[in-house]
Amino acid sequence: MEKNRISNQQLKALLVTTVIGIGILSLPSEVAVALNNDGWIAILIGGLIPVPFIMIMDRLFKMYPKKSYFQITKEVMSPFVAYIFFIVFFIYTIVVIGYIHRVFAEVIKAYLLENTPIKVILITMLVAVSYAARSRLEVLARVAVMIYPIILGFPIFLLVVNLPNLDYTNILPIFQLDIKQIPNGIFTAYSAYLGFEITTLAFNITEDNTKSVKYTLRGLFTVIGVYLIVFFVTLSQYGVFQLKRGIWPSIDVIKEVDLPGYFVENLDGIVLAIWVLVVYSSLGPFFHTSGIILKEIFNTKTHEVFIPFLIPITFVISIIPDNLVVVTKVMARILEYLAFIVSIILPVVIFIVAYIKKRRVKT
Amino acid sequence: MKKKIIIVGLLSLIFLSGCWDKVEIDQRIFVSTIGVDLHEESGMKKYMVTYEYPNINAIGKNATEDQKVYVHSTPASSIFQAGRELSTQIPFPFYYKHLKVLILGEKLLNEEKMVRQVIDELNRDTKVNKNIQILAAEGKVSDIINANVIRAQTTDGVLYSNVKNNRTSGKYTVQTLTGLISTLDFAGATVIPKVTVEGDRYSVSGGCLLKNYKHVAWLDEKENRGLSFVRGQVENETLDAFYKGDIISFTVIQSSSNKEVNLDKEIDVTFSVRLEGYLQGYIIGKDKTAFDMKVIEEMEKVLEEDVKKEIQSIIKKIQKTYKADVIGIGEHLSKFEPKKWREIKDDWDNIFPDINIDLSVDVKIRRIGLTK
Repeated sequence: MEKNRISNQQLKALLVTTVIGIGILSLPSEVAVALNNDGWIAILIGGLIPVPFIMIMDRLFKMYPKKSYFQITKEVMSPFVAYIFFIVFFIYTIVVIGYIHRVFAEVIKAYLLENTPIKVILITMLVAVSYAARSRLEVLARVAVMIYPIILGFPIFLLVVNLPNLDYTNILPIFQLDIKQIPNGIFTAYSAYLGFEITTLAFNITEDNTKSVKYTLRGLFTVIGVYLIVFFVTLSQYGVFQLKRGIWPSIDVIKEVDLPGYFVENLDGIVLAIWVLVVYSSLGPFFHTSGIILKEIFNTKTHEVFIPFLIPITFVISIIPDNLVVVTKVMARILEYLAFIVSIILPVVIFIVAYIKKRRVKT
Repeated sequence: MKKKIIIVGLLSLIFLSGCWDKVEIDQRIFVSTIGVDLHEESGMKKYMVTYEYPNINAIGKNATEDQKVYVHSTPASSIFQAGRELSTQIPFPFYYKHLKVLILGEKLLNEEKMVRQVIDELNRDTKVNKNIQILAAEGKVSDIINANVIRAQTTDGVLYSNVKNNRTSGKYTVQTLTGLISTLDFAGATVIPKVTVEGDRYSVSGGCLLKNYKHVAWLDEKENRGLSFVRGQVENETLDAFYKGDIISFTVIQSSSNKEVNLDKEIDVTFSVRLEGYLQGYIIGKDKTAFDMKVIEEMEKVLEEDVKKEIQSIIKKIQKTYKADVIGIGEHLSKFEPKKWREIKDDWDNIFPDINIDLSVDVKIRRIGLTK
């Protein structure tokens, strides 16, 4: 086997584990605030938005085989523009890392480690993640394959333990949505799908390029499925009003579990402990990506050297917001716009330029 | 080099063991019941909060102490503030993760704002299990908690065991924190079990009708059973009726209830209640037999009439007197007839008393026991 190659199965696992992270906890509540009972529409459409961009990436990599996204960017753009692109991408990744870290620490502090200072939680996680980020993408993909079953198991577990006391009529009424609210809802839901940009790094190193798109889309649909299950379980457990009130309803719903026999009560501790792994697997690739971008900017051989310097930067970003409200109202908004630029506008621009250049060469 | 690594490793055993701030189980206080009542004095301390917690040293075979349960009361500005107030008298910290029961006092229930504050605090807290049982006390809360101290046997608290084991009986309707909030969200009204105290014994029976977090009325056992029939929640309840001068008792083991809403002209609601069960007792005698289709049918008729009367009287009460939609008609409309609901939801309190409610009861005696 060649070095730093990943199989398509690994690509799929990498996508799923990167996308599913902290978004899964607050997504049901956020889409319910925008669209009430019809939040699932936002989840579905938000999940379909990345599809054309994954297709574009695939076409781009087919135009320039064996080259990475950043090499292509450098080739088709003037160096100056390419650097601006890189810097935007870099800012995006470190803001994502800071954001995920902060929300992660807030959740852990709220449910598990009450007395631990938030900075300690942040630093331990950052150090652990940076260790993974130093390795090649192939290694991260292997980690992803290990964590993939946990992610698939979570919604199934959630469904099974909640099954006895779900009230399915809470899903009704459907299709009572306000058309004006749909874009808002989709925008909110889309932020839960951040992380599919990892395909920009992973597409060109897959073993079988022809089927990469298929596996990526399969991974994306898995994510949509997981989100939909979590949304419907929380909605039918709580009803729409209480769902809107919660900040992290996906964890609270586990506290609702009340099966005969005492040993399945207060499961939130166990589930959160597992969830740490899930967050880890979505932070690793982002951290790795930011290292890779710096490598491209400074033209060094490896990205490992930059990782230690990124730790303080992301740490500072994650402790800037005063509280959780600022994190979700301000930081998340900034992040959504950055994500829009990085995951949608940049690939399209690069693709169009590349396409025009290729045609010019031919004629 | 190797030595250094070994030294670092050994030192880390001391510092990273993670046990330096451990708290032994007998040095924690697991609050099992919280009672909240009104403290009628000016100032911030508007609540009279009572904590009940088991004495860990009195549990198990080799118990070293006799007193099973401790009860402490203090005036406080909120239920968790009470824990801080009490910490001046009690050596160990309080843990709320195993909280099972919240009792709201009668006087408190008349203050909508204060009930809302209590419920919000519990719903917001990260440690409290959202499945705690909510009860309403007729009278003073501290009397009730003190009454069950005498009967204390279990670590969860007597009240909790009581409520938990009879949750399907019609005498009262159990209500959890999440259930309370979501039914109040949907319908604006709900019923929680009522606890009363007579002498030194408490009893859980009947219900407290809440409307928008405010006490409206007390329901007695029978009224509460009528409501439970309409909601189809009864699974373990015995009915008595007169059949040709003899008392028959019938145990319900399964009940279901269906609503049908007709919006043609006015809002017409039809409830069809279905009860299944077995004959518990009749009378012994030469000419008395239940092993006869005709007899069974007649018995079913008698029971149906009784149940119907019971339900109708309570429905009339909640409709005309209390104007509280606890039978889920508003919720049903909002889910299945959203268009109509949007028109009427702001005016629901005035519309609800005037809707037509029809009722059909179907009792099935499935088994008659071992004798004919």
